[in-house]
Amino acid sequence: MLVFLKMSVSFTFLRPFARFLVPFNLHRKRRDLYSTVLQRYMSSKTPAVSCPDKERTSSEQLELDGWKITMKSSVVTQEGVSAVSSSKDEDSLAATRELIEMWRLLGREVPEHISDEDLKTIMESASKSSKRKYLKYLYVKEKMKKAKQIKKEMKAAAKEGAEKTKLLETTEEDKQQNFLFLRLWNRNMDNAMGWKGAQAMQFGQPLVFDMAYENYMQPKELQNTVSQLLESEGSNRRNVDPFHIYFCNLKKDGGYYGELVKRYGEKWDKLLLTATEKSHVDLFPKDSVIYLTADSPNVMTTFKHDKIYIIGSFVDKNMQPGISLANAKRLKLATERLPLDKYLQWETGSKNLTLDQMMRILLCLKNTGNWEEALKFVPRRKHAGCMEISQYSQEFVNQLKKSKTFNPFPKGSLNVRTKKW
Amino acid sequence: MTFRLSGFRSFPELWKNNKKVCLGLCSGNSHLSLFLLDGYGIRNQQRWFSFTTVSPQNSKALNLLNGKTRYRGKEDERNNKQVSSDSHLFAAGAAKKRSQMNPQSKDHISPPVRNTVQLPTKPLNSEEWDKLKEDFKGKANFENWISSQITHGHSSIDVAKSLLAWVAAKNNGIVSYDLLVKYLYLCVFHKQTSEIIDVYEIMKARYRRLEPGGYTLLIQGLIHSDRWREALLLLEDIKKVMIPSKKNYNDCIQGALFHQDVNTAWTLYQELLGHDLIPMLATLKAFFDFGKNIKDDQYTKKLLDILLYLRNNQLYPGESFAHSIKTWFESIPGEQWKGQFTTVQKSGQCLGCGKTLESIYLSPEEYELLKENVMSNVIDGGDQYKKTTPEELKRFQNFVKYCPPFDIVIDGLNVAKMFPKARESQVLLDVVSQLARQNLRLLVLGRKHMLRQCSRWKKDEMEKVQKQASCFFADNISEDDPFLLYATLHSGNHCKFITKDLMRDHKACLPDAKTQRLFFKWQQGHQLAIINRFLGSKITFQHILSYDTVVQTTGDSWHIPYDEDLVERSSYEVPNKWLCLHRKM
Repeated sequence: MLVFLKMSVSFTFLRPFARFLVPFNLHRKRRDLYSTVLQRYMSSKTPAVSCPDKERTSSEQLELDGWKITMKSSVVTQEGVSAVSSSKDEDSLAATRELIEMWRLLGREVPEHISDEDLKTIMESASKSSKRKYLKYLYVKEKMKKAKQIKKEMKAAAKEGAEKTKLLETTEEDKQQNFLFLRLWNRNMDNAMGWKGAQAMQFGQPLVFDMAYENYMQPKELQNTVSQLLESEGSNRRNVDPFHIYFCNLKKDGGYYGELVKRYGEKWDKLLLTATEKSHVDLFPKDSVIYLTADSPNVMTTFKHDKIYIIGSFVDKNMQPGISLANAKRLKLATERLPLDKYLQWETGSKNLTLDQMMRILLCLKNTGNWEEALKFVPRRKHAGCMEISQYSQEFVNQLKKSKTFNPFPKGSLNVRTKKW
Repeated sequence: MTFRLSGFRSFPELWKNNKKVCLGLCSGNSHLSLFLLDGYGIRNQQRWFSFTTVSPQNSKALNLLNGKTRYRGKEDERNNKQVSSDSHLFAAGAAKKRSQMNPQSKDHISPPVRNTVQLPTKPLNSEEWDKLKEDFKGKANFENWISSQITHGHSSIDVAKSLLAWVAAKNNGIVSYDLLVKYLYLCVFHKQTSEIIDVYEIMKARYRRLEPGGYTLLIQGLIHSDRWREALLLLEDIKKVMIPSKKNYNDCIQGALFHQDVNTAWTLYQELLGHDLIPMLATLKAFFDFGKNIKDDQYTKKLLDILLYLRNNQLYPGESFAHSIKTWFESIPGEQWKGQFTTVQKSGQCLGCGKTLESIYLSPEEYELLKENVMSNVIDGGDQYKKTTPEELKRFQNFVKYCPPFDIVIDGLNVAKMFPKARESQVLLDVVSQLARQNLRLLVLGRKHMLRQCSRWKKDEMEKVQKQASCFFADNISEDDPFLLYATLHSGNHCKFITKDLMRDHKACLPDAKTQRLFFKWQQGHQLAIINRFLGSKITFQHILSYDTVVQTTGDSWHIPYDEDLVERSSYEVPNKWLCLHRKM
């Protein structure tokens, strides 16, 4: 009851009270007076700096309201400009542009320059928050671009300076030196990697990227996925013993294909991997396939060189758990997940790793079989460190190896046993 | 007490960071203020210390804070008392109480107080501002920083004005937009209408269009003036780029009502609903408050429509709104309404008038709709492999079809894991046999791994369970909760289910808010949660509400649940206080 009473009182009493505080008429008069003063100011083109000492003694109000008049009057010059533009465009496109400009004045995170397509995307986005998010994305993009530009300029300047000094120093010593090789390292490396890739195409272990998740992803997620695919292909190419990569379920008319071709350019047709519209179950026997998914109940204990591992190329920012597990269940495939909890003290973040991290882990496992080494590719921020227990069991295994010289058990079963003791 | 301790803890750190400043502080007064600062606003350290002068304000602030903590303590006590032990699972404040029983979550961090920055209290002239700017050493732009401090601290307008005058003098008489907006905020906060109008004129002159933040402030400021109609024009301007917020509509409606323009208010209200916005309760309250002075059938009908809107969208008025509703009803001439604030008995009888409230059970159509929705969205969800497999689903459907309806469906794993120290199978057997003794037809849902003999699941105990109840074991990687929901829904309205799970994730799978509300209503009426804290005693359940907590009427009576101001309610809880209105015969 009390609260209610208070409310109504404040509502009704507020207005007359406010009026009483600031006498309105007086105020008006003073403003008129000021505008004449101001015109004088404008004509002489001197900034309207008020002399504080004098005015303070006479009246406080005078000094405090001075800025208003200049604010209102400075329009006189501005109005001419704004009047022209206001006459022609009243559509919401211009309104949105102006809104963004006002936001920028407020110090919000919006881009300085915005293209018409982006403006349309913003207008078409359904909610306020999606508008804001897209604007922030553009803002960050613009900022990065600017920073890069500045860096580039600085580098160019530095290079120029260095070359100048170099020229001054080394004008006379222009003699021949004896070299064994020409400087063609990059091309040689590319060639070598190409040979290795061709070898992997013939004899390498298959590794499948399942591209069946196109419909579950937003355009942005799809772009991220393709970036990750590019990265994983790159790290595979550089490896000593690369996988033979398959892109399965890659539809020729889908978004994946378009994006991949766009990113790779003319290199796409020369890539040493197999891209196919067929499914992985058509290419390989079902019982040799293992689907890797973080939702799997089974833990991967060792890397098997006779199996075909499948990675779902799927970036899930939408929180749709269990889609890849459902896919594997549908096709009745074996599933496995990485033993992250066994070897790492997990702290934050999802257990879903990016495609390139998966690729590096698998490559490392393939070459060394060492879990500690392989799981170094898990981002450091996600875990606190390696488990000591697994190190202990590793030592235990090594001891057994030494004593028996032959280890009949697979590593996993031994680990289980040591835990139980 | 606690905040002082924490102050001591971080003292050395402070000493390290701000050596210079600590040397400067030597009076007793300053030490006090130091503690105060630590407990509440470690983030503010840098800012506060950039001003080396110490003012008497600090000790005042300390007292104020002390008072605040004391008050908070009292409030907690009150809350604890109010949520008595017999409150049901979905009662308002129950979640908070449950979390308080957890010892880990006890040390909640008190919100930082921003007021520790020492701001000028009276207008400064330009030299003083210049000097202040020299003293300020921070990353941000001084003008921006000080103006946001002034707005945060709700300083007097004159201070802000002198700042603007200083800035304008430096920049050829031009004040940037963000400073203007901050100044406008301050004017609106202090309700200085003439200042607001001045700023409005300036903005109109300088900028062709503003952004929603500026518009919102202008609308909020203008509605109390004589030029309130221009607020409506500003609202139109917002509409050109985006849908106005419910606050914008609230302000405009309040303004219209304040100036007795009822038709505009109702038009705006309809527009608000048309945008699928949920109106602020303050908006609705304003209509009721205004209604007291109006004797008009049309208006009365519209107010009753608002009450039905509350009912359909399961909204609950706040305490002051409930008072407004009561006052309005009692002010209707010739109808002699009598209102009182009461609670409702477990049996569903209102303590005020003795009438029985609406039942929690769904109507047959609603029930069918819910059943279908649970089947198609929660279990199937477009991909049967996500939660189960088609074979398993078939097996389950057959199983349910050939069993007679059950009385109680038990979430085996949830019940078994209730006491972490006891063996799972034993707990489950205990619960099942106690219920079986009451001649209830039971269904236990679980997963296949429960049947494998191990230290936690004894085979003989599971066999005993299977003798006393029907069991269905899903695959280990399937989800069991959807099966639980479907089995219960399939058995009929009398069937209940036992789990402590609040099922929020499954509720979220439902397609729209309406079905989710149906689910919640059904859940309130059919979920049994075991509240035993120790094993061995007779199991007791949280009592099930027999009535629906929603705004309801029988023509000559209204029952309106409302939220108390001092109780925090989670979204899945319902209030337990009621406003009972009936006509005197």
